[in-house]
Amino acid sequence: MDYYFRFGVIWANFDKLLFGLALGLALAFIAILAGIAIGLVCAFASTSRNRLIRSAVGVYVSVIRNTPILVIVLLVFFALPQLGVRFDKYQSFAASLAVYAGAYLTEVFRAGLNGVPLGVVDAGRAIGLTGFQVAAYVTFPIMMRNSLPAMRTTFISLFKDTSIATVIAVPELTFQARKINVETFRVVEAWLAASALYVATCLIIAAGLRRIERRYSIM
Amino acid sequence: MTGKRALLSIRGLGKQFGSTKVLNEVSLDVAESDVVSIIGASGSGKTTLLRCVNLLETFEEGEIVLDGQPIGYKMVNGRRHRLPERELARQRAMTGMVFQAFNLFPHLTALGNVMLGLTKVRRLPKPEAKELALSWLGRVGLKERPLHYPSQLSGGQQQRVAIARALAMDPKLVLLDEVTSALDPELVQEVLQTITKLAEEGITLLIVTHEMAFAKRVSTRVVFMDHGRIAESGPPKQIFAKPATPRLRQFLRNAHV
Amino acid sequence: MEDFLHELWVARYVLLGGLKMTILISAASILAGSLLGLMTGVSLAYGPRPLAWLMRGYVDVVRGTPVLVLVLASFYVLAVVGIHFTAVQSGIFALSIFCGAHMGEIVRGALQAIPKTQIEAGRSIGLTFPRILAYVLLPQALRQILPVWINTGAELVKASTLLSVIGVGELLLATQEIVGRNFETLQFYTLAGLLYYCVNFSIERAGKMAETRLKGR
Repeated sequence: MDYYFRFGVIWANFDKLLFGLALGLALAFIAILAGIAIGLVCAFASTSRNRLIRSAVGVYVSVIRNTPILVIVLLVFFALPQLGVRFDKYQSFAASLAVYAGAYLTEVFRAGLNGVPLGVVDAGRAIGLTGFQVAAYVTFPIMMRNSLPAMRTTFISLFKDTSIATVIAVPELTFQARKINVETFRVVEAWLAASALYVATCLIIAAGLRRIERRYSIM
Repeated sequence: MTGKRALLSIRGLGKQFGSTKVLNEVSLDVAESDVVSIIGASGSGKTTLLRCVNLLETFEEGEIVLDGQPIGYKMVNGRRHRLPERELARQRAMTGMVFQAFNLFPHLTALGNVMLGLTKVRRLPKPEAKELALSWLGRVGLKERPLHYPSQLSGGQQQRVAIARALAMDPKLVLLDEVTSALDPELVQEVLQTITKLAEEGITLLIVTHEMAFAKRVSTRVVFMDHGRIAESGPPKQIFAKPATPRLRQFLRNAHV
Repeated sequence: MEDFLHELWVARYVLLGGLKMTILISAASILAGSLLGLMTGVSLAYGPRPLAWLMRGYVDVVRGTPVLVLVLASFYVLAVVGIHFTAVQSGIFALSIFCGAHMGEIVRGALQAIPKTQIEAGRSIGLTFPRILAYVLLPQALRQILPVWINTGAELVKASTLLSVIGVGELLLATQEIVGRNFETLQFYTLAGLLYYCVNFSIERAGKMAETRLKGR
């Protein structure tokens, strides 16, 4: 192997890598918040007695989950302007990731909803809670607690998906690493550093979310 | 029937489930402080009857009158309409129910379980609700464990919390649906003792049970259900010692009474 | 609409070529990745400590890294360390590594779910461990693995789009080339999305069928 390591270059550019990481986290955060809102609405909508609403949610989830995220990102960024929708690349990516997140979180919350024992809902009705009160004080809290582990894996996955933003020139971590790679030819170091940052961030997020899970799980 | 006015009056109740008639012409009067035990084989309609009384199930025929007021349905121009959910919720609060599977709210402590109805339905302010809930937990013998979660309590303790939760709503009567069937044998007695205490305090109870000795001891009346009908009813001594119908005789024989 | 259909007809071979490449990449990656995943999973479940730790490191690093980073890293790093792969080869390499880590976890989980008594039972009738693995453990693990394996196949089809970034002529790159010429952007991207959807939906259906058939046993 005819290669000598020079990590100094990486240190010199570390601030750019960190900027990229922060940008990725910010995009993920926005998309996750929007995705949770979408997911909650759709999960409850999928229990509706209205067949049209149920089908609509089903179609949304099925289409998004079976389509590659890169296609969705490119569609939103390049094709939507054809319909008159103007996004800058940041908004475009955040919107794409939010729609993507919404579909996955819908399934997460749906599973959480199914895990609410019917008997406990009955008990809520038996003490005189109205339908809304049962949903708010019994179903929703139990559903959220059920959904915590799956939310954790989904959030981490969505954070990793921010790397796709590179393709539309959003300067997040992967973009920065590629730039360093191409400009300095420090190939191994650049990608090692990027990977290390991603892995470390994922581990930190996972640990943090696990702590929250432990606090709230029905133990 | 004594001269007392019926607190609960079930008249000609009928319910269909697909092609099966799960309840057929069921009529039953329960006076205040009565303790009525319902016995019968699985599938005889006992649980369905209870669930109709506290409006968790619909019924097509007959009516249920609670404290002089028909519940669940109203007549409009001669046609029967199920009351709106809001109204049903209000009526459900008048009957307390304890389930076989306890059905405690897993995300709330024992105290939280009892308090939920007090704060959200009876709309008591939090400190008052807390005090009342704690006193009810004390009355079922769980004074030391208010902050435990259901998963940290034994089956018998969970069921007693469930009883406290139902009683805290100050219901006109309490429905108990095979509340000891899911318990380990050594935990059954503590729950039965709690229920006996309630009966002694004059609380009106409608109990579905397999515990024949307990039913004999605590009931003012025993009702035997078979295939959706009330086949026989009477004071416990009569029902257990001199069963009149052959079906009841067979049932008691199978139950080793 | 007629413009689009005309352009579609003109571009049909390009699209077909792209679709073929997508399927080739996905198939190659799932095959190589599954083999890798099988070895990884077995090592994690039953291997000696150092090997298990090595595999653990491999799995955790790969799963904590975005697939695009794996693809780009393979593309640039392999050449520098003396392995001269084409773009297609380095792409399949990256996807196989990804699939291997993913499947490794699945296989490990499925194997560890089998009670140890099964191994004892196998030993007591005189089987050596490799044979116990082949005839007793893996067949039982298969029930848990199969639906996830099929799902991973769908994931790889989706991940194949990332290879467009390193210039591999799969369906997405083909679409981009076509759009570059005729600017029917919305239409062709939607068509690409539809094609991917159809492929993945079929895989999802196949998975559900396999699942119900397995359950019937």
